Amino acid sequence: MDKKINVFLFFIFVLGFPLAYFLMPKAVKSDNEKRKLATFPRFNSKEYLAGTWTKQVDKYIDDHFPFRTSFISSTDYFHAAKGFNLKNSERVVVLPKKRAKPQGESADSSNNQMDFLDEFEEKYAGSMLIIDGCVYPMGGGSPAMSKYFAEMVNEYARTFKGVRVFSAVAPLSSAFIPVEKYAHYNSQNKRTLLAIKNNLKDGAIFCDVFNELNEHSNTKLYFGTDHHWKPLGAYYGYVAFCKAAGLEAVPMEKMTKKVKYNFLGTMYQHTQDPTVRAHPDTMEYWVPKVQTEAVKFGPYNTDKPSKTKVFYESSSGGNTYSTFLGGDEPLIRIQTGIKNGKKAVVIKNSMGNAFAVFLVNHYQEIWVVDLRYSKQNLTKIIKENNINDIVFAVGMYAAMSKGTIGMMRRLTTQSGVYVPPPAPIEPNPSDETPVLPDSLNAE
Amino acid sequence: MVFSSLTFLYLFLPLSLLFHYSTKNDLFRNIFLTIFSLVFYAWAEPMWIFLMVFTALFDYSTGLYIEKKRGTPWAKVGLIASIVVNIGLLVAYKYGGFIYDNLNYLFPLPFDRPQNSLPVGISFYTFMVISYVVDIYRGEIKAQRNPLNFLMFISLFQHLVAGPIVRYSQISEQVEKRTIDWSRMSDGVTRFCIGLFKKVAIANVAGVLVDKYLDTQLYSLSSYEGWFGIAMFSIQLYFDFSGYSDMAIGLAKLFGFDFHENFRHPYAAISVGDFYRRWHISLGRFFRDYVYIPLGGNRKHQDRNILIVWFLTGFWHGANWNFALWGTYFGVLMVLEKHFKFILDKTPRFLKHGYTLVLIVFSRAIFYFVDFNQLSYFIGNLFYSKHAINPGFLSDITTHVFWFILVIVLCIPWDEIYTQDHPVRNRMEVKYAYIRPFANAFLLVLSTMLLVNATFNPFLYTRF
Repeated sequence: MDKKINVFLFFIFVLGFPLAYFLMPKAVKSDNEKRKLATFPRFNSKEYLAGTWTKQVDKYIDDHFPFRTSFISSTDYFHAAKGFNLKNSERVVVLPKKRAKPQGESADSSNNQMDFLDEFEEKYAGSMLIIDGCVYPMGGGSPAMSKYFAEMVNEYARTFKGVRVFSAVAPLSSAFIPVEKYAHYNSQNKRTLLAIKNNLKDGAIFCDVFNELNEHSNTKLYFGTDHHWKPLGAYYGYVAFCKAAGLEAVPMEKMTKKVKYNFLGTMYQHTQDPTVRAHPDTMEYWVPKVQTEAVKFGPYNTDKPSKTKVFYESSSGGNTYSTFLGGDEPLIRIQTGIKNGKKAVVIKNSMGNAFAVFLVNHYQEIWVVDLRYSKQNLTKIIKENNINDIVFAVGMYAAMSKGTIGMMRRLTTQSGVYVPPPAPIEPNPSDETPVLPDSLNAE
Repeated sequence: MVFSSLTFLYLFLPLSLLFHYSTKNDLFRNIFLTIFSLVFYAWAEPMWIFLMVFTALFDYSTGLYIEKKRGTPWAKVGLIASIVVNIGLLVAYKYGGFIYDNLNYLFPLPFDRPQNSLPVGISFYTFMVISYVVDIYRGEIKAQRNPLNFLMFISLFQHLVAGPIVRYSQISEQVEKRTIDWSRMSDGVTRFCIGLFKKVAIANVAGVLVDKYLDTQLYSLSSYEGWFGIAMFSIQLYFDFSGYSDMAIGLAKLFGFDFHENFRHPYAAISVGDFYRRWHISLGRFFRDYVYIPLGGNRKHQDRNILIVWFLTGFWHGANWNFALWGTYFGVLMVLEKHFKFILDKTPRFLKHGYTLVLIVFSRAIFYFVDFNQLSYFIGNLFYSKHAINPGFLSDITTHVFWFILVIVLCIPWDEIYTQDHPVRNRMEVKYAYIRPFANAFLLVLSTMLLVNATFNPFLYTRF
C-alpha cells in the first residue's frame, strides 16, 4: 500500500505544479528582482536549431513557476538549517560574476548601456563581507584610478569657464565597517579620494565627503541591505559640498523628518542571506521645506517633459531608495521656490539621488543628469541655462571605472539624437518592449 | 536538458510518463520513449541529434553484419570498422581542439582550430555502442533486429547525458518487453527523489563553496582553506555524479528498466583500488572488459596494462593534459598498491580509510585545475601558504555544520552495514514504511524550492 502511496504522491506533485501553472494568474514583472519576467518565445526554426529557443522556454518556465516568490523566500529556512551563525558573525559571500541576461536585454545594446550595466554590476560581484546582517564590499577603490576621474573633472572645469565644477565622490561603505581588522578599507577609501583631490586642477573643487562622513562614522551612514548610502550619509555629503561651495548647509532640524521601514535592498536580493534578511533597514530621511516642481525628460530630448517629483513617498519595499527623485531618470529639472537665480547641474549615478534632493535648499533650478542614461547634449544645457555650478555626485565605483568616466566625458559631446541599434545578431521576436533608459526608473 | 531543471521535472517528465502509461502496447511505448528521448537530447543540442542517430543506425547495421559473419574474418573487419568509426567520431568531436592545440604548439598548422562544441553524451553513447558490437562479436549477445528498439536503447533519456554506461546485455529483454509493477515504480520514485536531493541540496551547495575557495579566493588561500576547498569539490563531484546516476536509475525503473548500480559509497573505500570499484562502476567495468583484459589483464604486463587503462580513463574525462595526469596518478597508485599490498593488508582499517581519502581528495586538485600554473600554485599552497585564513572561513564552517554531518551520514555505506537480510533493517522497513512516501515528497518539494530559488536573478537596476 505504501508503494502505491509513494507513486501517487510523486505523480500528484509532478502533475500538480504544471496544473497550478495553468490555473494561477501570471506575473509580468518581479519587483524583488527589478526585472521583467520572461515571455513565452515564439517558435523560430533558426533559433531552435541554434539551441536558443529552448533556452528561452527554460527561462519562461523558471520565471513563471507556480508559487515562485514563496519558494524563493522559503529557501532561507533551508540555508538557516545548514548550520548556525556565530555571534558577531562574519561571512564572505561570493556573488556570481555573470548572471544570465534577462530577456529583452539585447534590444538596446547599441549604446552599450546594458553592457555597461553588466560591467558596473560586476563591481558588486565577487566577495562581499556580511557582518551582523550588513553587507559590505571588500575593497576601497584604487588611488591609481583616481587620476582618470580627476582628469575628466578637470576637462569640465577647462571647458566651462566661469562655472564652478565640484567633485563630490562618495566613499564605499567598506570605509565604515565597525570592526577594527577592516580599518584598512577606511584608509584605502581615504587614499583613493585624496588621490582625486591631488589630481584636480584648473579650478575644479574637491568636496571632502570622506572626511565629513568619517567624522560621523559612529552612526550608520550606509544601508546594510542595499548598496547605497543612507539619507544621513547623503546629508553629510551635502554638508561637505556646502563647505566647498561656500554655502551654509541647512540643519536637519529645519527639514521634515520622515521614516520608512523594512527596506531589504539590492544587497539582500543578491546575497539572499538569512542574516541580512533578519536585519531590514529603516530609512530616515529629511524633506527640505522648499517648494519644488520637477519634470523629467526621456533620454533623447529636452522638449517633451513629463511631471515628476523630488520625493516619491509611495516607494517602499525593495524600491525604498527610489523615494529620491523616483529613481534613476535620464534627466530631471527641478525648479524651487528659492528665487536666487542660481542654477546647478548634478551629474550623478544613483548615489547622487539622495544627495541631489538637499540642493533644493540653495538653487533656483537644478538639472539632475544621470551619467548612464542621459543622451542629451550637456554642453547645450549648461550654456542655454546659464548654469553656475556643476557637481559630480557619484559613488566611488563610478569614479573607478573607465567606462563610467568615459560616459561622463561623453555627456558634453553626445548629440542627443536617437540612433537606432543595428539588427541584433540573434534577433529575439519575443522582445516586444525594448529596454530603454527611461524605463529604468530605480536603482 | 538536465534532470535537475524545472523544465524536465514539470514539463518533460509528466508528459513522458503520461504518454508511457497511456498504453500497454510495448511497440507504442517504445515509440513514445524514443520520441521523448530524441526531444530530450535535442533540447540542448538540436544539431548533434543527427550524429547520435547516425551512430545508432551505423552500429545497428554493423551489429547485424558482425552477427551474420561471425566465425569469419569479415566479422573482425566489421568490428574494427565499427570501433574505428566510433572512436574516430569521439576523437574528432571531443579531442579535435585539443589535438590541434598540441600539434599547433609543435609546428604551426595552416588551418584554423575546429570550433565545434562537444556533442552531449558522446563519451557515454560511444562506449555503449562499442560494448554492443564487441559483445556481439564475442557471441555474448544477440544483435537487435528492430532498428527502433536499438535507437531507443542508445537514446534512452535516462542514461543519455551522463550515464551510467548501460550495456545492451543488461537490458536487452527490457528493450523488447517491460513489466511495470508498483514495487519497481515505487523504488524508482524513491531513488529519483534521493538523487535529485543529492544533486540540488548537496552538490550545488558544495559548488558555491568550491567557487569561492578554488576560484574567487584562489590566490589568497591559506593551506586550511585549500584543503577545505578541495574537500568541497570532492563532495560536489560525488553528489553531483552519483545524484545524477540515482536519478537515471530511478527514472529507468519508472519506465520499466533496471540499470546497474554506478556508485557504491566510494568514500567508504579502504584503498584506491577499492575506491574505483565503487566509483563510476560502469566506466571501470567497461575499461576492464574492453581494454584491460584484452591487453592481457593480470596475466601479463599487468603494471603496463593498469597504467594504459588509467591513462585512457583520465583522457576519457576530458580533453586536457590535466586529465591524463589525473589518470596516470591513479594508475601509479594502483600499481603501488598492488606491489605493497602486504603493507595495506596489515594496516588498521581506519588508517587505510584515511590514506585513501587523502589521496582521493588530493587527486581532485588535478581534476579541477585545467591550467597547470594554477594547479602547481594550488598544490604548493596546500602544503605551505603565506596567506592568513580569510575572514568568513570560520563562519562558512559553522553555517554549514549540520549540512556537513548530513554529507557524512550520506557517505556511510548503510546498506553494507545493514544488508538486505539484516533483522534491524527488515524491522525498520516494515515499521516505518509509511514514512517513505512523505519523505520522498518532502525531498521533491525541497529540491524544487532550491531549483526555483536558483532562478532568482536580481538586478541592481530596474529592468521592467
